[in-house]
Amino acid sequence: MTKNMNITHDTWEIGGKTLSSRLLIGSALYPSPANMEDAIKISGAQIVTVALRRQSAGEKSGRDFWNIIKSLGIEVLPNTAGCHSAKEAITTAQMAREVFGTNWIKLEVIGDQYNLQPDPFETVKAVEVLIKEGFEVFPYTTDDLVVAKRLADVGCKIIMPWGSMIGSGKGLMNPDNLLAIRKQFPELKLIIDAGIGKPSHATQAMELGYDGVLLNSAIALAHDPVKMADAFRYAVEAGRLGYESGVMQQREFASPSTPTIGTPFWHQFKD
Amino acid sequence: MIEIIVNGKRTTISKEMNIKEVIKELHYTQEGFALALNGTFVAIATYEITIIHDNDSIEILAPVQGG
Repeated sequence: MTKNMNITHDTWEIGGKTLSSRLLIGSALYPSPANMEDAIKISGAQIVTVALRRQSAGEKSGRDFWNIIKSLGIEVLPNTAGCHSAKEAITTAQMAREVFGTNWIKLEVIGDQYNLQPDPFETVKAVEVLIKEGFEVFPYTTDDLVVAKRLADVGCKIIMPWGSMIGSGKGLMNPDNLLAIRKQFPELKLIIDAGIGKPSHATQAMELGYDGVLLNSAIALAHDPVKMADAFRYAVEAGRLGYESGVMQQREFASPSTPTIGTPFWHQFKD
Repeated sequence: MIEIIVNGKRTTISKEMNIKEVIKELHYTQEGFALALNGTFVAIATYEITIIHDNDSIEILAPVQGG
């Protein structure tokens, strides 16, 4: 009897939603709105990040962009990019909730303009307020275990450590730190946010047991963003399947995979 | 006339008035934006009861692409 070889791809829950894709995709930096739309569609992502910026009187671009995103029929995750204090981030989150009609917020409070490293103190302060106001907070943080603990202490169910600096494409700088966070918080939803540069980085993140990967530049800045979006879809799926399958233990020494019994020409001595 | 700051730029409006009137006077006709007054979010439901005074600072934000 032939075995059923269909592999079941799991679903997961985040922020009260059940999703099948574990890839979260950004909407910025694409060559054109049409290219962005195609890339998001082929990526299979069910969460797309958006932002708020100043609008001039009579300007229509914001509405046009928002109409494209709404037509995709996927979840929207507004960010607080550019905020440098808890107060700015809280106000931006409140504005985003009204405009986008969601209580989800990707909390970014930047502490250093050079490397865009998040400010852990202001981030925790903002989380405390936002959770009380009913937001589902997706906080962007570093791979620091203690900061992750503080975020969990104030009620975060989701934490998004960086792989490396935003837009750097350097991948996972400290996989051991990321693994420590994963092991410490098996109950939290953990998403790698920032620093992913190529599909193998996303696979590596998923193999560590992370629940998802959020990226933008790696797709939008590729020579062919639509093809790269497809590549990332496979990469995230591959990493997740690999994690679920149980990765083999590393060994210190070589170990042959071909059976040694019956090896030809083995110990053949001439008289 | 009073002077206010809108998205970081100084501008003048005819008198003290509520936010709904300010939006109209500044020709913001599109929907789909949110507003903050002096760094604090103002919900649409309170535009008519929130008065803008001299030197107040308004941020008017709309959806854009984001990562």
